[in-house]
Amino acid sequence: MKHYLYLHWQSARTALAKLVRQPVANLLSLLMLSIALALPISLYLTVSSLQDWIGRLTATPQITLFMEMSAEPADHAAVDATLKAHPKIASYQFVSRAQALADLEARHALAGVAEGLDGNPLPDAFVVTPTSLEPDALERLQKELSGLPMVAEAQFDAHWARRLYGLMALGHHLTLALAVAFAVALVLVTHNTIRMQILARRDEIEVATLIGAPDSFIRRPFLYHACWQGLLAALIAWGLSALFVANANPAIQELARLYNEQVELRGLAPRELALLTAGAIALAAIGARLATRQHLRQLAPR
Amino acid sequence: MIQFDQVSKRYPGGIDALKNLSFTIAAGEMVFLAGHSGAGKSTLLKLVAGIERATAGNVLVNGQNLSKLRASQLPYVRQHIGLVFQDHKILYDRSVLDNVMMPLDIIGYDRREALRRVRAALDKVGLAGKEKTAPIRLSGGEQQRLCIARAVVHRPAILLADEPSANLDRAYALDIMELFKSFHQVGVTVLISAHDETLMEDYGRRILRLREGQFAS
Repeated sequence: MKHYLYLHWQSARTALAKLVRQPVANLLSLLMLSIALALPISLYLTVSSLQDWIGRLTATPQITLFMEMSAEPADHAAVDATLKAHPKIASYQFVSRAQALADLEARHALAGVAEGLDGNPLPDAFVVTPTSLEPDALERLQKELSGLPMVAEAQFDAHWARRLYGLMALGHHLTLALAVAFAVALVLVTHNTIRMQILARRDEIEVATLIGAPDSFIRRPFLYHACWQGLLAALIAWGLSALFVANANPAIQELARLYNEQVELRGLAPRELALLTAGAIALAAIGARLATRQHLRQLAPR
Repeated sequence: MIQFDQVSKRYPGGIDALKNLSFTIAAGEMVFLAGHSGAGKSTLLKLVAGIERATAGNVLVNGQNLSKLRASQLPYVRQHIGLVFQDHKILYDRSVLDNVMMPLDIIGYDRREALRRVRAALDKVGLAGKEKTAPIRLSGGEQQRLCIARAVVHRPAILLADEPSANLDRAYALDIMELFKSFHQVGVTVLISAHDETLMEDYGRRILRLREGQFAS
């Protein structure tokens, strides 16, 4: 076991030393890998930051139920009971017509407007906060509530929420598609770099095989090379995405200020960075593994 | 130590390199393998080393039936064999010392112990003091010695040499043969191939003569 660990430690060290010894050639492939990683990361950060903001905007989409003018307290109680038992409703509030009129007067400096009116034209209302923010669910709930007895209307403008939601879903899909594409690119680029290395070290591999090196011995330095490359690429990509966030933030804040909003792009969280690093290393290892397998198969005894 | 039991090797294209070959080499024996080029000498050595596999029959080396081993096990068999190649197969991108170090790296020796063994092996073949030299600066005979040092540095039980003296003049060739004899004297099983039988006859050892993949009577 100790011997096994020693062999690994040896390979890891040698691989890193080789990487450092040819900085220019390795820097090119490293940059290629890091840019491939940085693009989806930046998009991901943009989308998720905007989503946080939109989440705040639509945190309390409300459906307002207006009762018929002729509704009796018994009808109110019936609606009240339905709302209380409904699983898709987080909370609700009853606003009586008298209270609504008072609010109207207070809020819009329309004091005295009631006097000019022939009675109170406002209906009793329930303000409902649903549990789901998803537009389809909201719309279904709205339809359902408008069908309650003595409810005149359930008001909710789903269109803007739907549009925004769709836009975000698109952003998500785009991020995912880009991430998959660049993950494949990472595997391919690593495969290619490792293949080049194998070709460059062909004699060494041949001799090592002849004098008794098992496949694992041949494979190990290349796997470690790929892992180091994946790690460095992930870290550089992290740096690039931080650079992007720093550069994009002033513009986005400027835009948000026009709407009296506070929007800020966030950087990668430590958990996300760890995930990115692990992912990059794993993908690089897959690429190296494929490249070495291909080559070792050619060398196998017949 | 080495046993062939009705071994045949056919290469793709229908060329029969070895035909139904049977023989035994005892542990500690020194045996020569003679025959013209193309007679199957190299193929026979490759089968012993597990570099190639027999098409039919059993190859037993050090108690293991190579024909039955999985491909992934063959390298470990080779770790107990020393191989000397006609074309040396030396790596020119590293020093003499690092070339000889390779088998020990593969087995995974402790660095200090490995260095000690490498120096001993180089001393044995007469290359002491050339550790840091680039192999390209060595003469043909010295390169062959380097190859021998690499073959014996991990103290294998079996030493296989494929035409080790092919490109050397007679004096050098005799030197090399003496070297093999000294390994034989410390108990190593040695199998040497050559197309020039005059070198072998002086030693009075068993000679296996191959002709077109069979033993010549």
